[in-house]
Amino acid sequence: MSEHRSDERANGIDDAQHDVVVVGAGIAGSLVAKRLTQAGFSVLVLEAGPATAAAFDDYSNHVQAFYAATSKGPESAWPPAAGVPQPDTADIRTGDGYFVQAGPLPYGSTYTRLQGGSTLHWLGVSLRMLPEDFQLQSSYGVGRDWPLDYWALEPFYGEAEHEIGVAADVVDQTHLGLEFAPGYDYPMHRIPPSYSDRLLAAAVDGMTVNLGEDQLALKVRNYPAARNSMPRGDYRPVGAVDQRRAGQGDGHGLARDLGQRCAGNTACTPICPIQAKYNAGKTLAQADGRTLQVVAQAVASKIQLDPVTGEVRGIEYQRYDDPASARHTVHVARGRVYVLAAHAIENAKLMLASGLGSASGMLGRNLMDHPSIYGWGLASHPVGPYRGPLSTSGIDDLRGGPFRARHAALRVDVGNDGWRAPTGAPDSTVTDAVANRGLFGTALREHLRSTLSRHVRFSLNVEQLPSRSNRVSIDPRYVDLLGNPRPVINYDIDEYTLAGMAAAKRVYQEVFRRAGIKDCTDPEQGVWFPSVAYQGDTLHYHGMGHFAGTHVMGNDPAQSVVDTDQRCWEHRNLFLVGSGSFPTMGTSNPTLTLAALALRTARHLAKELST
Amino acid sequence: MTTSHHLNGDSMPAITTLDELYAYLDSAMQLEHATIPPYLTALYSIRPGTNSDAYHVLRVTVVEEMLHLTLVANLLNAVGGTPDLTVAGFVPDYPAYLPDGERDFQVSCARFSRESLGTFLEIERPRQAPDEQSRLIDRGPARRGRLGSAPGNNQLQYYSIGEFYQEISRGLHYLHDLLGDALFCGDPTRQVGSEYFYSGGGAIVPVSDLRSAEAAIDLICEQGEGFGGGIFDSEGELAHYYRFQQLVLGRYYQERDSRDHPSGPHIEVDWDAAYPIKQNAHLADYPADSEVAAAAIAFNTSYAGFLDLLTRAYGGRPELLLDAVTEMFRLRDQMTRLIHNPIPGLDGVNAAPTFEVSVHLAGVAS
Repeated sequence: MSEHRSDERANGIDDAQHDVVVVGAGIAGSLVAKRLTQAGFSVLVLEAGPATAAAFDDYSNHVQAFYAATSKGPESAWPPAAGVPQPDTADIRTGDGYFVQAGPLPYGSTYTRLQGGSTLHWLGVSLRMLPEDFQLQSSYGVGRDWPLDYWALEPFYGEAEHEIGVAADVVDQTHLGLEFAPGYDYPMHRIPPSYSDRLLAAAVDGMTVNLGEDQLALKVRNYPAARNSMPRGDYRPVGAVDQRRAGQGDGHGLARDLGQRCAGNTACTPICPIQAKYNAGKTLAQADGRTLQVVAQAVASKIQLDPVTGEVRGIEYQRYDDPASARHTVHVARGRVYVLAAHAIENAKLMLASGLGSASGMLGRNLMDHPSIYGWGLASHPVGPYRGPLSTSGIDDLRGGPFRARHAALRVDVGNDGWRAPTGAPDSTVTDAVANRGLFGTALREHLRSTLSRHVRFSLNVEQLPSRSNRVSIDPRYVDLLGNPRPVINYDIDEYTLAGMAAAKRVYQEVFRRAGIKDCTDPEQGVWFPSVAYQGDTLHYHGMGHFAGTHVMGNDPAQSVVDTDQRCWEHRNLFLVGSGSFPTMGTSNPTLTLAALALRTARHLAKELST
Repeated sequence: MTTSHHLNGDSMPAITTLDELYAYLDSAMQLEHATIPPYLTALYSIRPGTNSDAYHVLRVTVVEEMLHLTLVANLLNAVGGTPDLTVAGFVPDYPAYLPDGERDFQVSCARFSRESLGTFLEIERPRQAPDEQSRLIDRGPARRGRLGSAPGNNQLQYYSIGEFYQEISRGLHYLHDLLGDALFCGDPTRQVGSEYFYSGGGAIVPVSDLRSAEAAIDLICEQGEGFGGGIFDSEGELAHYYRFQQLVLGRYYQERDSRDHPSGPHIEVDWDAAYPIKQNAHLADYPADSEVAAAAIAFNTSYAGFLDLLTRAYGGRPELLLDAVTEMFRLRDQMTRLIHNPIPGLDGVNAAPTFEVSVHLAGVAS
């Protein structure tokens, strides 16, 4: 079953010297590889997982895996290789997965270890962070300040939005102090709001809620999405990737008309069947093939240092041919510069496993997520759920404001996917109707028609601040099949975030009331999620897959792991890119910001390598 | 084939008036559309999870036929005509008859099979008439569902689809010589542009002058039959004929291959993995009051509505093509509902959409 697609490339690679060695072919690594190959530098990308998402027929197999899976979780389309395990939502309850959950609370998020990374399964929300998010400490006395401000990153946000292909209208996005470069707009028009978005907006826009002493007016807004839409100007939406293996021709154009527009397949997570949603394979396919080498099924296992200079002189990696087996050979990749782009957890893990980056004591610490609350209810009239992109709008007004001095900010994600995520509907609705209500025939159909069509779901994503005790570490007792350490996760949710979660719960209840939506939220009856007690209440939370903070960026080597260029303070030819560099995360999904940071680092590297 | 314009030919073009040009372009729309029901029927007859490559070869091709349909609508709008996909007889009563050189052949709505692929090859086959005089063939008495014939004289059919477009190209040049740029008097807002029609297989061409008109015609011809006699079109994509041929020959073409000799990887085609549907199904084949009859009527109603939607989209409201995407999902679901279910009383024969969109099914020839 396995294709030994990279054998010919892997052989002899030990001798090759590249300008840049990148670990990880996710979005950050792919952006760095694209930019630096286009600048004429030779780049070797090591990808731990198989490259199956890059060829159209293999991608189709992933779609089939999703169709066939009984549980449609984020991982259902993306099974990992045996030697490259990944966290799985189903393991959170058992506590027995890739992550060693050391508590006190389970960490609720997962990621994908395949070429393309977690962009294979992400939802595609591409919000910029707010200007105030970068100065949380100086503005509100909590968290940390970034060593960069919003305007230092603004041009790279624009660049990232064009690289990813983000659909939005600037006019919808200028609030909470968010400003755009003059004349700027997104590369594609916004994805149209869903019918339920419009109904909700009609009911909710202008209502106010109180957070602390702040009274905040709400508005349902379209959010920027990495999902193809009508292009602006001469931008050309990038559709499905179809890179064939050597000797397989040009791809025969089987995918050439796929994915130039979102067609509303309602499967964004875990897999867009037509690749209208961005995945990092699109970026990697645009790298200059003349100076790019990608070696998939190559697990970086140890960073080698030059004992004299302290610089990195090589990265050991384990190359396996058969994804079902742990058999592998060990190689060393050499370059002038090394870029770890393997994910917040994997970057930290590789550093720890190599005994590096310990000087500040910050490596692996400050692990964050967006612990999130589901609220679900029944609208009084049909709202047309279970169609279109899983989500097209949100309520952003609670992402910023003085209340952040007291509790966490939050963002309301408005679903188009009914109760699927919190209850397993529509399947569970059918089961309930048949098994509990004894319905069949016409009565069953009528019941399903009248209830499913009114399903409303909110997900309220709550900010989490950096904390030293929330961390990833390694322990020689816990290793995977290749002998690499499994991440040991210590995780808790502090009072600041818990108060935000409690506020989030209150907010959705108020919005439901206002919109005439009957609150049906009942975590005991829904899909299992971890929970935490707070002020006499039980808050059930789910992870958003938003890992951040494990190699924090700063101006002070004693307090951070990387500088503003994401260069490791201790090893000057080593860069750690990704959301691990975030000092704080605000309420934005981290991908756009980490892409902007990666592009900023790539620009810096292109300059440095030329001199 | 490529369109080398017979500008120096001695004979008068068949198109010498605007009305004649409209009639030809109406026929061209009908012709482009006529390939879609057979391709869709074969496509959706493939059992889910099987024949992935064949599925996508068919899917890409049918998407390009939709592009061709829209390109012809742009041509017709550009010269002041009015595309109408709702006229009686626009959808042929299958089997329909298409020209293929000295003969014509039947095109059926049938399951995916070697035989249907053989027909598709004939549809897309490159054919250039040996000389000017052979471009119109007298096929004898008019037969219903004959496509690619000379408007006004159904007995005379073009040598091939390529020659049919050749005639349109000649007519465009003739009328342009006569009228100048006034030929392109259409309302530019009726042109469908890339914001409303997208396909990686070739960008939509808004038509505003002779050059863009030629570009639209060239794209239609090249995508079907290849560029300059080669197997690829000018964008380097394999032409339809050779895409289909790969499935029949069981091998992919790769760069530098010559026609009829693909040397790329083998393609596995499971010819049995298709639903055994009724060929050229008609409502009359289904027991009255049966569920398949109701489903077939529902599909036909949707399809008629869809053609009406396209007519409005091509009639100055291109943004309606956004709604057309949703409608195409609906059509797919309605088609598979028929194809996946047996016809009561016919042992082991499944239903299929009948594409009978109108009670006035007099056929093209009437």
